[in-house]
Amino acid sequence: MTGVRAPRVAAYASLAAAGLIAGLALGRVEPVALAAPFALALVAAAAPREPRVGLRLSLARDRAVEGDEVVLTVELEPDGAVQRYELLVPLPEELAVDGGPARALRLRAGEPRTVELTLRCVRWGAFRVGPLLVRARDALGLRAWEGEAGDAQVLRVYPSEETLRTLVPPLETQVFAGNQVSRARGEGIEFADLREWRPGDRVRRVNWRATARRGSLWVTEQHPERNTDVVVFLDTFAEVRADGRSTNDRAVRAAATLVHAYLERRDRVGLVGFGGYLSWLVPESGLRQLYAIVDTLLTSDVVHSYVLRGVDVLPPRTLPSKALVLAITPLLDERTASALLDLRARGYDLIVVEVSPLELLAPDPAAPVSLAHRLWRLSREALRWRFEQVGVPVVTWREGIPLAAPVEEVNAFRHLVRPA
Amino acid sequence: MRAGSEAWALAAAAGLGALLLVAALARGEPFLGAALWLAGATYVGSLAAAGGRVDAAAPLAAAGLLICGELTAWSLDERSRLRADPTLSSRRTAGIAVLGLAGLAAATLVVGLSAVPPSHGIAWTVAGAAASVIAAGAGVWATRG
Repeated sequence: MTGVRAPRVAAYASLAAAGLIAGLALGRVEPVALAAPFALALVAAAAPREPRVGLRLSLARDRAVEGDEVVLTVELEPDGAVQRYELLVPLPEELAVDGGPARALRLRAGEPRTVELTLRCVRWGAFRVGPLLVRARDALGLRAWEGEAGDAQVLRVYPSEETLRTLVPPLETQVFAGNQVSRARGEGIEFADLREWRPGDRVRRVNWRATARRGSLWVTEQHPERNTDVVVFLDTFAEVRADGRSTNDRAVRAAATLVHAYLERRDRVGLVGFGGYLSWLVPESGLRQLYAIVDTLLTSDVVHSYVLRGVDVLPPRTLPSKALVLAITPLLDERTASALLDLRARGYDLIVVEVSPLELLAPDPAAPVSLAHRLWRLSREALRWRFEQVGVPVVTWREGIPLAAPVEEVNAFRHLVRPA
Repeated sequence: MRAGSEAWALAAAAGLGALLLVAALARGEPFLGAALWLAGATYVGSLAAAGGRVDAAAPLAAAGLLICGELTAWSLDERSRLRADPTLSSRRTAGIAVLGLAGLAAATLVVGLSAVPPSHGIAWTVAGAAASVIAAGAGVWATRG
């Protein structure tokens, strides 16, 4: 720890010296009497020694969800008495503490002490908590020792998720067993069709009623349940941020909700973070994939970049054929729009969920600026029209509306319009 | 006329000292040293201007100046936003009180020792010189350490 003197100690020292000198020079005792208490204060400032305090930092858990509270425990073991021990936990703005992150306490010699702070997880992300900034002071605050103590702890705050009752079913399924009814014919539960018996058909598939009516063997065909490949395409090129709210925050929450819902159905889910910093995860299934995707989402901050980027830089396994691509984007950057139209042109089943930035950008009442706002909105309409022209549904997800609403809108669109 | 101009000068210095104290409360400890300096210099100046016998209130003035400095520093420390143990305030109050009383006692001792006739021998002279050296050395040691 570094020893620090209060600024007034130097003033006291100069007062004491000046008093002595003035007493000698004037031949009077009063200046010396004036200097005496300040000299005594200097002795009081010099007396304390650097304290030794052992400090251990620990979090109740290292993973939480937005809105959760996590207890941070600070264990102190002082060798000697400390009149005033101050500790400050440097926290990012995404973590809040009631009563502030700083505490001041008195430590008795040999008596361990525990301080608990309740951290409120305001926003998702991966955060380092610690080391603490500490300061030990004497009773009068004339001397202090400052330093850092404790090891940094990592806290992962996952995005909060919404409940989705229905999901968008992909147009094509894969070959592995899953929960999605496939359009193919085979063994399953859902009735598909009747056909004549062929050598190799199992006896239990024979439809006896049809056989009795027609006088020859007929079998029942079903739609098998297969899994699907889903790729969540997250646009991190640009965001709109205002009053602590951001389109990127909502996009990550939507991505986490969709990933969790599809993985629960035993589908394979992958992730593409398309922006200044490119990231991807090949579609896999299971709990490990959920943690891998959510951990990747925690680092999905917008990184501004002028690099021209297309989907051809992604490894082929990231975007399997017949995969459903769910693009979550505020549609602010032309590069994302071009990449998505490229995906559609390659035959991918594409759905665009627009995280609307309009609620964060209130138009200025001044006439010229409101005209610019209207032109900007018209350009966004034109972009949506470009997607719809190629059969890509674009649904707008506004703030305050549950994610289930745009999902239902996509399902309704698909009932009306059958993509090629 | 001379006494009147000196009184005005001392009054102006005292006013400036008060302003510096207010500035210390508003802006921080660097102004506190200047305020204490000006207050002390005003007091010594008034003594030099008045002349005459030893001022018996000197210990009170000294202790009062020290307590003023400590209370100002405490006020500035309390502006930091942190949750503190309730006992810390009482301990600091006691510390300032003890320091103030000890300072008063030390100043009184100094004034009392000044009443000893100077012709009491070489021992007193040596003791006085040693006390001065010790006090100066303690000041240097305190500011260094």
